[in-house]
Amino acid sequence: MLPDFFEFYNPTKVVYETGVATDLKPELDIIGIKKYFIVSDHVIDGLGLVQKVADGLAEAGFEVTGKFLEVAQDARLKDVKTCADLIKSSGAEGIISIGGGSVIDTAKAANILFSEGGDLVDDYSGAHTLTRPLKPHVVIPTTAGTGSEVTMVAVIYDEENKEKLLFADKFLLPNLAVLDPQMTTTLPPKMTAATGMDALTHAVEAYVGPQRSPISDAFATGAIELIMKNLVNATQNGEDIEARGGMLIASTMAGIAFTHSMVGCIHSMAHATGGLYRVPHGVANAIFLPFGMEYNFEEIKEKLARLSLVMGEDAAGLSEEDAARLSIAAVRKLTNKLNELGALPIRLRDVGVPEDGLTAIAEGALNDGTSFYNPREMDEESLLPYIQNAY
Amino acid sequence: MGMFKDAETFEKVIVGFFNLVGNTPIIADKLLQSKMVIRFNYTDPDLVVVVDCAGDKAEVRPHDKTTTAVVEMSMSSDIAHRFWFGMVNLTKALTRKEMVAKGPIPKVLKLLPAIKPAYAMYPKYLDENGFRNYNITKAYTPPPSA
Repeated sequence: MLPDFFEFYNPTKVVYETGVATDLKPELDIIGIKKYFIVSDHVIDGLGLVQKVADGLAEAGFEVTGKFLEVAQDARLKDVKTCADLIKSSGAEGIISIGGGSVIDTAKAANILFSEGGDLVDDYSGAHTLTRPLKPHVVIPTTAGTGSEVTMVAVIYDEENKEKLLFADKFLLPNLAVLDPQMTTTLPPKMTAATGMDALTHAVEAYVGPQRSPISDAFATGAIELIMKNLVNATQNGEDIEARGGMLIASTMAGIAFTHSMVGCIHSMAHATGGLYRVPHGVANAIFLPFGMEYNFEEIKEKLARLSLVMGEDAAGLSEEDAARLSIAAVRKLTNKLNELGALPIRLRDVGVPEDGLTAIAEGALNDGTSFYNPREMDEESLLPYIQNAY
Repeated sequence: MGMFKDAETFEKVIVGFFNLVGNTPIIADKLLQSKMVIRFNYTDPDLVVVVDCAGDKAEVRPHDKTTTAVVEMSMSSDIAHRFWFGMVNLTKALTRKEMVAKGPIPKVLKLLPAIKPAYAMYPKYLDENGFRNYNITKAYTPPPSA
């Protein structure tokens, strides 16, 4: 059935090529500015990836006016402010962010202050508070998971008030997403598996969510197909450029899908678990993915049955119900394989979650904004058994 | 021009309804749990209303421009009116900038299930409080006294 209304908007130009991150002249010439400020973190810098991009920029006649490398595991409010001040004082005309979700989100939020000034929280937190385009922002992801290079969202942690601030705006969409598999080859197996499962969760939740559209469905299924084909290989052999490329493209496609159709209960539970027990987001999503699919089963059976085919399973002759269950089994097969490789925990008890903390996860999940977008109306009583099963 | 002829009428309608919602335990209890303070900035006609759930009971304060709100929601009076009939998809309205939300949006989204019963209350409230001509769920029939 077609939705009554949907909107599809993604002006971010995407380029893909092995090595393209060091050869951006044609794309940057179109953007039309010469001075860029780089936002990244010390890990990425230590791997030599920042210098690689900076060298490419210098060779092509672009100026790097400065660098901010202090991005932590979470994108923090104080870092955003410092970063924006440095960008302004450096005389930059635009930003290049090189990293994972926290780096990209820090750069997105810093770009608000860099372009508009004002107070980030009071003036801009929320949905669609910006009124005009920001300064150019080029993103080079070094993980294949968040999809932040093509989403209109930035999540920033306010340490003082201990809350995550959401910024959702079309003007946060970067100008250019540079997908270069070489930039992800140094990602360790555990990070590869966890971020890849994050991308899979984005795609699955986008595909079954109530805000989906035929266009977001196409991106979601494309992403799922690529992830099922490439995640194990990328985890097993980080130098496998084909697998790394497949995962990068999948992550971007999943990002496009979920920035339009949102995510649901799996993210609700993962956010709660991350907040309470510091479980990495991708790992928490990986643990909850099959259980979330089961929780929503009756509401999304038809979609799950179709997913079994997308996931490469043989559903010929099966009933809709059995085909739907096959898609959940396919996810379990994937996470079990990653677990066998020592790259992914698949139980809450294996990631430091105490058994008496499961109720708190259920409560936290219901209080998470993503719960609003779940296909099944969530309540603590019905959700808790699935969290207990994930334990 | 919007559906409401003047700010005074819109204020009577929306403030009256907010007071009703604030005194309906099934909704009010959850609003009070949230401790949320929301400022609604309406246009066409212009009106500011604060709904303050930080205390023991929900307070509705028209023209309050000084209280520090947790969330500020800006929209036209028509969108607000249609919202309370359950006719506005919040995500769609935000995406199309028919509503602008400043502040922690997840906290607002979390309240949506709590206020669901209010959608059924709104047309009834309009009918019972002299605003029947604003009930867009039915064809307008002038009341006998009109």
